[in-house]
Amino acid sequence: MRGDRLFITVMLGPALIILALFYLWPMVENLRVSFTDLTLLRLRVGGQWIGLANYEEFLTSPETGRLMMNTFIWLTAISVAVRLLLGLAIALIVNTPLVRHLKLATIARIAILVPWATPPVVAIIIWRWLLEAPDGALNTVLVTLGIIDTPIAFLSDLRTVWPSVIAIVVWNTVPLIALSLLASLQAVPADLYEAAELDGASRSAKFWHITLPFLKPTMVVLGLTSVFWTFNNFVYVWLATGAGPGTFTNVLATEIYIRSFVDFRLGYGAAIGIVMALIMAVFGYFYFRMIGRRQIEEVL
Amino acid sequence: MIWKHVTACLGISLGSAMAALMAGAAVMPGIAQAADPVTLTFRFNDPEQKEMRAALDAFEKANPGIKINLERMAWKDARDQFLREAAVGETPDVVHIAFVWAKEMGEAGALAPLDALIKASPPGKGLGDFIAMDLATGKDGKIYALPWTTDTWAMVYRTDLLDQAGVKGLPATWDELRQVSRDVHAKTGKTGFGFPAGSASSGSLWFLANYNWWSNGKALVVEKDNKFSVGVDKADVAGTMNYFKSYLDDGDTPKSMLGVSDWADPVIIRGLADGSIAIGIMPPASFREAINAYTAANPGKAAPFTSGPVPKGTTVGTSHLGGRMLGISATSKHPQEAWKLVQFLNDASIFTGAYKSQFPAQRSLLQSVDFGPELKGFAEQLTHARTWGPYADGPYAMGSMWNLTGRAFGAALSGQTSVDAAAGDLLTQVGKLNAGR
Repeated sequence: MRGDRLFITVMLGPALIILALFYLWPMVENLRVSFTDLTLLRLRVGGQWIGLANYEEFLTSPETGRLMMNTFIWLTAISVAVRLLLGLAIALIVNTPLVRHLKLATIARIAILVPWATPPVVAIIIWRWLLEAPDGALNTVLVTLGIIDTPIAFLSDLRTVWPSVIAIVVWNTVPLIALSLLASLQAVPADLYEAAELDGASRSAKFWHITLPFLKPTMVVLGLTSVFWTFNNFVYVWLATGAGPGTFTNVLATEIYIRSFVDFRLGYGAAIGIVMALIMAVFGYFYFRMIGRRQIEEVL
Repeated sequence: MIWKHVTACLGISLGSAMAALMAGAAVMPGIAQAADPVTLTFRFNDPEQKEMRAALDAFEKANPGIKINLERMAWKDARDQFLREAAVGETPDVVHIAFVWAKEMGEAGALAPLDALIKASPPGKGLGDFIAMDLATGKDGKIYALPWTTDTWAMVYRTDLLDQAGVKGLPATWDELRQVSRDVHAKTGKTGFGFPAGSASSGSLWFLANYNWWSNGKALVVEKDNKFSVGVDKADVAGTMNYFKSYLDDGDTPKSMLGVSDWADPVIIRGLADGSIAIGIMPPASFREAINAYTAANPGKAAPFTSGPVPKGTTVGTSHLGGRMLGISATSKHPQEAWKLVQFLNDASIFTGAYKSQFPAQRSLLQSVDFGPELKGFAEQLTHARTWGPYADGPYAMGSMWNLTGRAFGAALSGQTSVDAAAGDLLTQVGKLNAGR
């Protein structure tokens, strides 16, 4: 027993050392930098210790409220919700007997995979081309069909910029949701539906009382992991809008970049990073409570 | 038993590592002897990579002991990338930088002082022949870079669209420019002044705003008795914002330009080339791109373009004296060889061969440049351009002011906030910038 523990410890050692080197040490270093006035121009000499000044400045800045709202509501909550709903809809459609009967399931799966296989940078460039004004593909179609009179600057108009960014995020990331839910759907025992049909259950009753409860664990996992990926994401907003027009689409991740590499204030950028990490730690806590502990218990 | 395996594995690993180290140590002197020529890395950020490589090949031939590794970096990433590298001592030997970066990079210890090298082997016709030396000199009086090329911005016009709109003569004031833009749009249906109205952190609105202030005798940063302060008030800022906003509100510049920040954005270059935009503002290299695009699409036809000074550009210094410098990294192990390369790159032949899109920063060479009829406006404007002076000397970080100005103008022009609120916010934010860089 004692020998087993020692063996486990020795075997886990390299992994723990790697984790400490590549995760723990940068985090501790980032925390230290967040208490300094380090700038990119003073990287060689280091910054001065300024205590909580960076945190105070960030938390009392009038811009912080907008940053939080953009990050929480627009970038994360809405895009994750749309992703889950759209992913569910796609999974349900692909799982219908008609699609299977027409032998379209494989084609549908491949079609779903294409956006996921597209790197985010490429996806954004494609979408910028689609949404461009006045000659973008979408504007050309809408004007030609007479739906709009004048082209819309989707990525710089205040009314359309967030929906456009969300469309890009959703397009690029919904396949994972759809495919995961499709796999879960196919694991629902057919005899449950048969029993429900014998009891005279309607289509919607079967969905609400059989399908959805079966999908719920998968949806919770996908929802929470999507929150992690999206909340910290930088490329979608930065490459699509550059955080503009003005600061209209500025989110926490782009603010870190602006502060660190435009203003050169690495200490201040590090402080925002720590705030983001703390927020994610709260999500992580719920994730562990809802998912992680159960999985660990199952493994043990 | 377990320990036996573990120690055996560790022993094998350590033994292998030692053997590899010993073998490496044995081979190293041989490598050192074989790598006799000095290899310099030159980071050049402009598109003429092929032409520059050819020039460097000629340099290598003339200097058999020096090999040049040519690197490219996008301009927008070049500054922070070099500073990050400098912090860990992994920089290119010779680096291509913007005029306004030299001071801060020198003072940050990223660039080597060139004074001793200049004294031992003066470049060209001597330092006095180079323009913008004030921007190359740090507060400590040391020279951290050598001006290489220069340019300024000017107005560019599609003459055919101006003719169709009945415009006689190029606009000389901001009000005249406003009217010409309206006339072109009203009479041709095309975009009048196609300026980039985007709010990116290194966008063009920074230049437009400053040109407007400068033409009215104001400046965002002013210096008096070696003290620096903000030189515009809320009314000045709001006035400039309202001026540019009127183009978008009236429709002679489409609102889609809010998504365009770069002066050389394909939307602008393509628009000028295909005639959907009548008026632009840009540096000469971008104007040449537009002319080339037109010529490629219309072979044999004369390009219907002309250039002219920016509004009030020849009465007061209304455009900035821009350009590139060459610096030597503070961590370069071969500063002598690097200086030899810097001197070679300042030879007259470079500006007529490998690097034709830019004008030389040496007065003697600048005089002999043939600007041609299309670039006449640039030649005229260049003599009236001003350096960033107090902007670069003072405590306000240029990059931050640039970003803040772009954001504030973007907020006002897009309607995110009112013009007054955006103007007030810009002044508050710029006021907060201090010497903490």
